[in-house]
Amino acid sequence: MHSIIKKSYPIIEKWIPYGSSVLDLGCGDGRLLESLAEHKQVSGTGVEISEEKIIQCIKKGLTVFQSDIDQGLYDWEDNSFDYVILNATLQEITRPAVVIQEMLRVGKYAIISIYNFGYIINRLKIFFSGRISDDIRFEGDWYNSPVIRFVSLQEFYSILDAAEARVDDAKFLFPFGIVSGLSCMSVPGNLFSKEVIFRLKRGNNSHD
Amino acid sequence: MTRRTLIETKILHVERPFVLESGKKLDSIDIAYETYGELSKDRDNVILIEHALSGDAHAAFYHEGERKPGWWDNMIGPGKAFDTERYFVVCSNILGGCRGTTGPSSINKATARPYGLDFPSVNIRDITDAQRLLLSHLGIEKILCVAGGSMGGMQALQFVCDYPENTGSFICIASALKHSAQQIAFNEVGRRAIMADPRWNGGNYYGDVPPKGGLSVARMIGHITYLSEEMLQKRFGREKKMPGNKNIFRPSFEVEHYLDYQGISFVRRFDANSYLYITNAMDDFDLVASLASRQRSPRDEGRTRGTGIKKMDHVKGLVITFSSDWLYPPSQGRDIAKFFRSLDAGVSYTEIDSDHGHDSFLTDVKTQSELVEGFLKSLMA
Repeated sequence: MHSIIKKSYPIIEKWIPYGSSVLDLGCGDGRLLESLAEHKQVSGTGVEISEEKIIQCIKKGLTVFQSDIDQGLYDWEDNSFDYVILNATLQEITRPAVVIQEMLRVGKYAIISIYNFGYIINRLKIFFSGRISDDIRFEGDWYNSPVIRFVSLQEFYSILDAAEARVDDAKFLFPFGIVSGLSCMSVPGNLFSKEVIFRLKRGNNSHD
Repeated sequence: MTRRTLIETKILHVERPFVLESGKKLDSIDIAYETYGELSKDRDNVILIEHALSGDAHAAFYHEGERKPGWWDNMIGPGKAFDTERYFVVCSNILGGCRGTTGPSSINKATARPYGLDFPSVNIRDITDAQRLLLSHLGIEKILCVAGGSMGGMQALQFVCDYPENTGSFICIASALKHSAQQIAFNEVGRRAIMADPRWNGGNYYGDVPPKGGLSVARMIGHITYLSEEMLQKRFGREKKMPGNKNIFRPSFEVEHYLDYQGISFVRRFDANSYLYITNAMDDFDLVASLASRQRSPRDEGRTRGTGIKKMDHVKGLVITFSSDWLYPPSQGRDIAKFFRSLDAGVSYTEIDSDHGHDSFLTDVKTQSELVEGFLKSLMA
C-alpha cells in the first residue's frame, strides 16, 4: 500500500467526530471505511468503480455504490454527508474541479489527500533522471498507471477558486514529521512536504 | 454427473377469504411453494425468493423425471449464493399465476368453472401479502432477506417496505420502482398479441384450444427485450438453419428458430390470461405512490400492512443492475438505491458488466453470485 494511504488514516480519523456520516470516494476495498466504522462509529458509504473492489466491500458488509466519480455525485442530494473523502485519488480524476465542487455540495466538509509533486525529491528526480518518480506514479509504467495528473501544492491551491472551496485545515507531512495548520501553505510547504491532507469547506479561499 | 436433489412443489390451501387491495376478494386461495434447506432453531435464516413474470415456485433442485432444474438453480443450493446449507429458502408462485397458485385459470368455486376474466385484478402488494400468509403458515415471522430479479425485484421492494420491521434486508436485481413508458409499451404489445388471437375469446378459452399463437408472440417479443443486441448478434448473427427453404416465410434464420422455440415452450406451461394479469400488475406497480397512498381497503384477520413510508435504518439492501440491460436499465437501479437511501436503509448499488441483457440475472450469474453470497454472509456476521 502506498505510504500516503497509511499515514492519512489516523489524520482523517482524528478530524472526523464520532457518529458522522461519511462518503468515501474511490474507497477501494473499503479499508478506510472499515477503520472509520470501528474507531468513530461513522455511518459510511463508499463509491468505487471497480467491480472487484465493490465485491470486496460488500463482503465486509459495507455500503457501497458502484459509480464513476468523474460523472459527478448526482446520486446524492445536497448536504447528504458530514464529510466527503477523496483519499489518494485526486491524481486519477479527469475533472478534479468538478469533483471537489460536487464533494462540497453533498458534504459539509471535503477531505482530500494529495501526493505533492512539488516535493523537492520529486523535483530532483526529474532534474537528474529526466523521469517522473515511481513514488508519484504508484505502480507500473506511465502509460498503464491510473495516475493521470501530477499535482503540486501550488497547483492544488489554484483549483480551489474554480471549485469554490477554501482550506479549513491542513496537515503537511514533512520528512521530519507532521505540521498542522495553514502556516505552511507557501513555498517551503510546496518544496518540503511529501504529502498533504486538506480539509475544505465551501467558500472563497482566504490564504492569499 | 452430480447428484440431483429432488423436490416437490407443495400447495397451501387457505380456506378463508383473501381480500385484495382493490376491495374485491377471493373466497379461498391456493399458494404453491417450495422450500430448500433447513429452518434454523431461532428461525432467523429465512430467505424469501421472488420470481419474475414467467417463473414459478420451482426455483431450485429437480422435479422427479425432469431434465432441467428450477429457474434459479444456479443461485440456490448447497454452497451456492443462496446457500441452502446456511439458509432456509422459500419460493412461491405468485397470486394471479398459473403454476399452482390461484389465478385466472383456477376454478372459481362459485361457478365451478375457471375464473377467466372474472378473476379480480391483482397488484404487487396482493402478491406479497399472499406470501406473507405462506410465511405465517410456515411459522416464520421475520426473514433475513427477500430477493428477486425483474418483477421479483418489485415484489422484494414491496415486501420490505410493507414489512420493514420483519425484514432484515433485500436484494433487488434488474428491477424498477415503477415501469417506464417503454416497459409498459412492450407489455402492451404482448397483451395485444394475446387478445388479438381469436382463440383468446374474451379470456374464455378453458376447455378449448388456448390462444397459443398470441401467447407465443407475446413471449417472443418479451424475449427480444430480455436479451442484448450484442448477444443476439453473437449467438445467432445471420446464420440460417435451412438454407434453400422452399416456403419463403417459414423461419430460416437461427434467431427465428430460437424465438419460435421460446414461444412454443412457453405456451406449454403458461396461461395466456395469467400473462395479461401479471403484466398488468407490473405496469401498475409504482412503489413510492403505493406507499404514500393512505386509502387502503381493510383486510381480513388484521394482517399488518404498510402504512405510509417508513424509515428503515436497520434494513440493508443490495441493488444489482447489468450494463447491457436496456429493458431495466441501470438508471432504474440507481433510482431504487436513491429512494431507499432516503429511508435511511444502508443500500449498496452495483452495475455488473455483462452482455446478456436483462436475462443476465438468470444466465450470467458469476459476479452476481459473489455479490449475493458476500452480502448475505455479512448479514450473519
